[in-house]
Amino acid sequence: MKSQQEVLTHLNKVLTSELTSINQYFLHARIYKNWGFSQLNDQCYKKSILDMKQADKLIERILFLEGLPNLQQLGALAIGEKAEEMLACDMKFQLAQQSTIKSAIACCEQLKDFVSRDILVEILHQEEDHIDWLEAQLYQIDQMNIDNYLQAQL
Amino acid sequence: MYVCICKGITDKQVAQHVLNDGAGSIRELKQHLDISSQCGTCTKVIQKVINDTIIDEGLFKEVC
Repeated sequence: MKSQQEVLTHLNKVLTSELTSINQYFLHARIYKNWGFSQLNDQCYKKSILDMKQADKLIERILFLEGLPNLQQLGALAIGEKAEEMLACDMKFQLAQQSTIKSAIACCEQLKDFVSRDILVEILHQEEDHIDWLEAQLYQIDQMNIDNYLQAQL
Repeated sequence: MYVCICKGITDKQVAQHVLNDGAGSIRELKQHLDISSQCGTCTKVIQKVINDTIIDEGLFKEVC
């Protein structure tokens, strides 16, 4: 089924963002694992796998719309050196991604591609859940200090 | 955070060279650190770190 080029461009932008996200969270997960913070490892590992599933949906949708999913394009990774910085980097990344998805949704809505919009809305929902989790972590660090927070993540 | 993943260079290392060695551009920084030598993705981020460091410390970037 043929689609408007604009929709495909937006879907590819979201795909690039998801592919970047997969790598960033996977590396962060394994850095946490290396340091022995198994709870943070689990959370980031699951997020990375979730991103892969989201990317899969986008790839299938782009192919369905007779476009070519760009798996070559990858954004810059924001990798922190310490746990606190890693969470802050993830937060910054999530906020940028959120606005990318939102503008893609707006474009799909405008061009009446409601199926693509539904896929993007589901992705946005999952991304907002992660933003909420990140906010909770940053709040906990603020309240109980980084040392106590990290002790709870072993 | 890591600004260059290829060579594992952090923003703190960049800022340190900007402050201590007076490196005000990517070209000057290249004499101290092995940046922008592999994939080039770091160039934009490093330029931002240089600019932010200079503004923070009230130094001036060399323009010519």
